[in-house]
Amino acid sequence: MSPSRRLSRRPFVVALAAALSFSPLAAFAQAASGDPVTIGVSGPLTGPNAQYGAQWKKGFDLALDEINAKGGVRGRPLQYVFEDSQADPRQTVAIAQKFVGDPKIVVEVGDFSSTASMAASSIYQRAGLVQFGFTNSHPNFTKGGDYIWSNSVSQADEQPRLAKYAADLGFKKLAVLYLNTDWGRASQNLFGEAAKSLGIEVVASEGYQPDEKDFRSTLVRVRDAKPDGIVLISYYADGALISRQIRSVGLTTPIVASGSVYSPKFIELAGDAANGVFSESNFFPGDARPEVQAFVTKFRARYNEEPDDFNAVAYDTIVLLAAVIDRYGPDRKAIRDGLAEIKDVPSVIYGKATFDPETRRVAGARAVYLVVKDGKFALWDGVKPVTN
Amino acid sequence: MNSLIDYTVNGFVIGNIYALLAVGLALIFGVANLINFAHGSVYTIGAYVGWAAITFLHTPLPATMAIVVVVCGALGALIERVALRPLQGRARIAPLLATIGLSFVLDQIVQLVFSPDPRALPSDLPDWRIAIGGGSVGAMDVLIATVGVFSAAALYAFLRFTRLGYAVRAIAQDRDAAKQMGVDVDSVNSAVFAIASALGGLSGLLVGMYYNHIDPAMSFQATLKGVVAQVIGGVGNVPGAIVGGLLLGLTESYGIALFGTTYRNLFAFVLLILFLLAMPNGLFGGRKSIEAEPLTGSFIAPSRAVKIPPAALAALILAAFALPLFTGAPYLLQTLTNAWLAGLVALSLTLVAGTTGQMSFGQAGLMAIGGYASALLAVDWGVSPLVSVPVGGLIAAALGTALAYPAFRLRGHYIAIATLAIGEIVALVILNWESLTRGAMGVTGIPPLSAFGHEAVSAKAVYWITLAALAAFAGLQARLVNSHFGRTLRAVREDEIAARSNGVDVKRYKALAFAFAGFGAGVSGAVAAHLYSYLNNQTFDSQLSLLAVTMAIFGGMGNILGAILGAVALVALPEAFRFAAEYRILIYGVVLLLLIRFRPQGLLGAV
Repeated sequence: MSPSRRLSRRPFVVALAAALSFSPLAAFAQAASGDPVTIGVSGPLTGPNAQYGAQWKKGFDLALDEINAKGGVRGRPLQYVFEDSQADPRQTVAIAQKFVGDPKIVVEVGDFSSTASMAASSIYQRAGLVQFGFTNSHPNFTKGGDYIWSNSVSQADEQPRLAKYAADLGFKKLAVLYLNTDWGRASQNLFGEAAKSLGIEVVASEGYQPDEKDFRSTLVRVRDAKPDGIVLISYYADGALISRQIRSVGLTTPIVASGSVYSPKFIELAGDAANGVFSESNFFPGDARPEVQAFVTKFRARYNEEPDDFNAVAYDTIVLLAAVIDRYGPDRKAIRDGLAEIKDVPSVIYGKATFDPETRRVAGARAVYLVVKDGKFALWDGVKPVTN
Repeated sequence: MNSLIDYTVNGFVIGNIYALLAVGLALIFGVANLINFAHGSVYTIGAYVGWAAITFLHTPLPATMAIVVVVCGALGALIERVALRPLQGRARIAPLLATIGLSFVLDQIVQLVFSPDPRALPSDLPDWRIAIGGGSVGAMDVLIATVGVFSAAALYAFLRFTRLGYAVRAIAQDRDAAKQMGVDVDSVNSAVFAIASALGGLSGLLVGMYYNHIDPAMSFQATLKGVVAQVIGGVGNVPGAIVGGLLLGLTESYGIALFGTTYRNLFAFVLLILFLLAMPNGLFGGRKSIEAEPLTGSFIAPSRAVKIPPAALAALILAAFALPLFTGAPYLLQTLTNAWLAGLVALSLTLVAGTTGQMSFGQAGLMAIGGYASALLAVDWGVSPLVSVPVGGLIAAALGTALAYPAFRLRGHYIAIATLAIGEIVALVILNWESLTRGAMGVTGIPPLSAFGHEAVSAKAVYWITLAALAAFAGLQARLVNSHFGRTLRAVREDEIAARSNGVDVKRYKALAFAFAGFGAGVSGAVAAHLYSYLNNQTFDSQLSLLAVTMAIFGGMGNILGAILGAVALVALPEAFRFAAEYRILIYGVVLLLLIRFRPQGLLGAV
């Protein structure tokens, strides 16, 4: 990924966003193919989580191009309006009222964090507009009501799988470092339970703040607990920081990281320290499944870079909503009912996605065991680390 | 024990980085009497300039460092010339706010140019390490320590032995006298900003290389830790900044050793508070550096508050209450509801900072206390929101005043820093006290506002409730401020010693002002909790405290209508700029800068 490309692409994306937010203008430009159907997106474009909003857009745009080239939904073009919330709850409630009051919006997507998303849930629920969160793994997110849906991979699925991987790798005593947010805390609990049932002992458990950069002292605690493996429940940026520091303080303990570190950025930021890190992912470009390969090829062709998990879930979400709208019609209530009924929508993450109408989540995310080799994520070759 | 050595080494390693940040801040404080909130932004820019030099010009480390020093030095001089010099002679709070506005602008420019994604910043230093205890120290650690100690020594020598150094110290002591003695204050200031910013940029580069990680959001934490380190060392004291940084690093490291990683920042801020209480001049501050003048108060340029005829005021209030009858647009009502809630916080701030002269950067902490108290009462004990909201306000008032009470003997910048720390401590306690607050998971399922079985969930109902609360508070505060109580508070603001010698129990009056303000902010947080139905430790963050300060300044310090106007403007402004999503914060920062420059007494005038 060359930086100059990023620079040159950016104004285009900005112009697109600006054009899209003047919906009347956008509608005029596309008048030939009928009134567009509009999805409202609430997400961070500025502020500390802005990079995730940028990743979403890439996935959204790719999906939209594809859908609209094939005739859109019910013959009408599909588009989105992206409102910047900075993942701030005060702004998501205002955006929620804006979307709810705008009859053009047929379904809402986002927000990024649980803090921001759940603050707005009651507004969407009362107004009968689906709030579709695709990065919301908080166990209570979809409990906000029957209009609150999510295709985010549930940590209740993910963490036991990570624990199983750790068991398969032969670990008996693990130290867990987790991001101290609702996501990390819930994941750490689920991981701990699963590890226990597999006979693995968690000898140290350390939560850290999202803006933490220095882990050296934490690692002394970890070392003193004498684990045979270190588990990271982290995102890619913090996961990379920790992996680097584990190696630079001279610890050779093997690292197992949750699927959320899966990103080309993880390797770029961790450098050599990434080598030998075990991970599992719901999304892996090297995965042979045809739906994954098709997505990766298209993504590379358009952006000239490797897609990551956030790109993939964003893409999946638009494809899913397009399928629902196409089949059940661009109506708020119809979309809610459609989500409960629709079956086997093609999905990069799930293969085929079907909701459980009770939990309003999708179960059965695919996953592959990975290991970093020579600066690249690769499928796990079955070699176990030497543990002492 | 072996690990003790490791924790000590690690404390020094991270302390090194804090020291480097604190030196730049100390230099600027020393001469300009200013906490430079834009220092972290310069630090970030330094890191990105270095990244660009390495990526596009393939410069080796010494050349990269030289480029960063030159670019950031020039940037520092530019900041001083464009944003700060025009504010000379204005309220001392004006340049401080200008640096906050600048930090918004600079951070946002970095983010627009380089994208928010974190980047790798590799260094070409040799990969050798010296084993110490069970750990090791690498080449980058040594380089950072060398730069820190060397720059502090060089600066110390510069201040002590050179002509320009004499000039800097003369200005720090008495600006006007220095000017009369023929010191070119402007160029000295300019030079100091250039040096400090060059150092700040260099720290950003080195720290970025150390972690192989730079991102546009790294600036706020850097400023925060740098400020803590320099207060510990003694504000404005360059060698003190180094010791302060190291001490902070050690405290954090030992804190992690004793209690675990999540307690790290709690230790940092508790250490800060202890220092502010026990030795507010820091380790090296000596006796001289405490400022007798309050931060706001008499330093506000004399301004006449804009008089609003009572009839017009009544019409405005009536119009606000009648609005939902004419428009059903929930988006507009929700935005204004947010503004009314922000207005409550701005009112509370304008009372303590404007009327009483005690600048507070911790209002978000009061909102968090009120919000959590009401939410937990409602969720865990089934208390009706009709009761839990006012109780939340009372708890915020009691706890907030108790926390701030020991800081009441501090003045000027110190009370501002103490309240900033208290705000952070509240958020960290919420994060760590899981058995009560549910920690990072937050409180879910908070019931909506209700009374006697009727739930207030429509946008109109919520609008009226929050507007009524705001109107009630504003009315009460107006009465208080115009009573003998208000006169006493203003007397405390204008001259604390004179007030005390006239028999005013200063601490008691400050406590009353904080309690009233705490109640308002607490109620605002409590109502917000019931509106959002979900709260966690990040709902009320320190950015919100800064926003509250900006609102109060916007309308005019101490001005009740001004605070409300500020809240409406600053909540509505970003919404109005929504079409330019990615430029929103940038525009907001520029507006703030222009306002401070051209109307520092606020739109309606300070009272």
